[in-house]
Amino acid sequence: MIVYVSAGLLALLTLSIPVGIVLFLLGLGVDSFFSPFPLIKGLGNLVWSSSNSATLIAIPFFVLLGEILVRSGVATRTYSALDKWVSWLPGGLIHANIATATMFSATSGSSVATSATVATVAMPQAERLGYDPKLFSGAIAAGGTLGIMIPPSINLIVYGFLTQSSIPQLFLAGLVPGIALALLFVLVTALICAMRPDLGGEQRRFPLSEMLGALTDLLPIIVLFTVIIGTIYNGWATPTEAAAVGVAGALAIAAAFRGVSFRMLMESLTGTIKVTSMIMLVVIGASFLNFTLASAGLGTELRNFLEGLGMTPLTTILVVVLIYIVLGFFIETLSLMVVTIPIIVPLVEAQGYDTIWFGILMIVLIEMALITPPVGLNLYVVQGARKSGHMGEVMLGAVPYVLVMLAMAAALIAFPQIALFLPSVL
Amino acid sequence: MPQSLLQTLRKLNVWVAVLVGIMLLTCAGFILLDIVLRQLGSSFGGTDEISGYAMAIATSWGMAFTMLELGHVRIDLLRSRMATRGRVIMDLMSMLVLTATITLIAVQCWPVVAGSLKNASTANTPLETPLAWVQIPWIAGWAWFAIMAWLTFIAAVVLVLRGQFDETESAIGAFAEQDALL
Repeated sequence: MIVYVSAGLLALLTLSIPVGIVLFLLGLGVDSFFSPFPLIKGLGNLVWSSSNSATLIAIPFFVLLGEILVRSGVATRTYSALDKWVSWLPGGLIHANIATATMFSATSGSSVATSATVATVAMPQAERLGYDPKLFSGAIAAGGTLGIMIPPSINLIVYGFLTQSSIPQLFLAGLVPGIALALLFVLVTALICAMRPDLGGEQRRFPLSEMLGALTDLLPIIVLFTVIIGTIYNGWATPTEAAAVGVAGALAIAAAFRGVSFRMLMESLTGTIKVTSMIMLVVIGASFLNFTLASAGLGTELRNFLEGLGMTPLTTILVVVLIYIVLGFFIETLSLMVVTIPIIVPLVEAQGYDTIWFGILMIVLIEMALITPPVGLNLYVVQGARKSGHMGEVMLGAVPYVLVMLAMAAALIAFPQIALFLPSVL
Repeated sequence: MPQSLLQTLRKLNVWVAVLVGIMLLTCAGFILLDIVLRQLGSSFGGTDEISGYAMAIATSWGMAFTMLELGHVRIDLLRSRMATRGRVIMDLMSMLVLTATITLIAVQCWPVVAGSLKNASTANTPLETPLAWVQIPWIAGWAWFAIMAWLTFIAAVVLVLRGQFDETESAIGAFAEQDALL
């Protein structure tokens, strides 16, 4: 059954059938071939119960929050404000790319939107100030990936929903690795640019008065992030309630910057529906596949399979990591995550690993998939925004950051506490 | 003719998407009010339940809009390496598979609603919401998606038969990757 599902998955995906539909078809296949009783009778109930969810409504809220911030021009202000704060480092403006991406991902939860925004704002500056396009664009692509790690993360909500693990715990677990990744990106950039100053650009210092002035553009976003995350961690609000607060906050910020218009609201709403339905078709498909696999006895089969292989838990994890790296070359974030959860998570759990910890490890690997060729969505987004030069430059520029992510994955395996410390104390 | 049909479907679904968006905004507003009320020591009660229903309805009604905007993710590793004809064939096939699957889903969802109607089921909550009230709009969304999918598929077949491959691609092709999630 494991082999059938994996092979069927790859074959159907290659045929370019929509990912959500592929998951339904596989579920129907498991039902016809492996289940002693007809599971299709459960389909309707499953479609109802997996979308009738007060947890998942946080997804459209967080998407909308990001849409509002991006479409009202708040991103542009943030970028120039952060430029004043971080451009004294070796590598100059590149750090503003990473910092803006980090900040936006922290509020919006979508990697691709983050990269697109930063790329559109940053690219003209790079040309004007004479930056090397490789590292500059690579940093944007890599910085954008943080959106799925730093809470609130839509991917973590989906993971939590499908594996029935606590979303606040996942958010807590993602905080330290996410911020550590952002800091490591900055450190690596500074090191590279200190050794090869030609790759970076001019280091610029701004007078303190200008830095403080820029705070008026930064503070609203920082406050918004703190409110969203703070209320969840304090137990004052569920992730859904915090997301609703976030939407109101984003609207208030956009209004304060005079970025609200009828057109912008309409675009934000339709953009939100588009992304949400895309996510939900995949999530409902995965819930159905999950259900058929579990009913057809995946658990027993997995145990036998693992005993047959005689792998230690560590080898299992290493094999899983390898699978994600290879699949990550070809499949993108959410699809990669959702299609593998029904098979991989029970396998990892059977080996005694913590699902919260594995969620974070998986997110690091999936972030990597966003910036590894041939299919790396963020690479295309950044290339699409810069409108000149070769794709290869962005890929090359992303390499240092891919290495950082690999190091982070290794660190998570060696020291699970990086992710699990915060959830255990709070 | 097929183009004007597709045009109409798109326009119609933009409105659906806006309405669904407004419903979600309203829901966010209710949640906010509820948080405020809770601080004052009272509560609407059942905001959770209502947001669940809103999500189910938003999900089913948003699907067709996303389909027409080419928003449902497809892995186009093989597809993007093919010539126009090959791509068009893959698009048509994938659209047919989608249409058939969605029709099956819509049909399979009916017993859920029929059951709620027959037993006059209410939610096992303080609100005791009659489930049919929320499940009928929900299944209508899936039925809408199925109908939209069939109409789009038929329009695409006509376009292919006329040899208008570019138009087919913009109707049922794979998304432009960078636009997919914006």
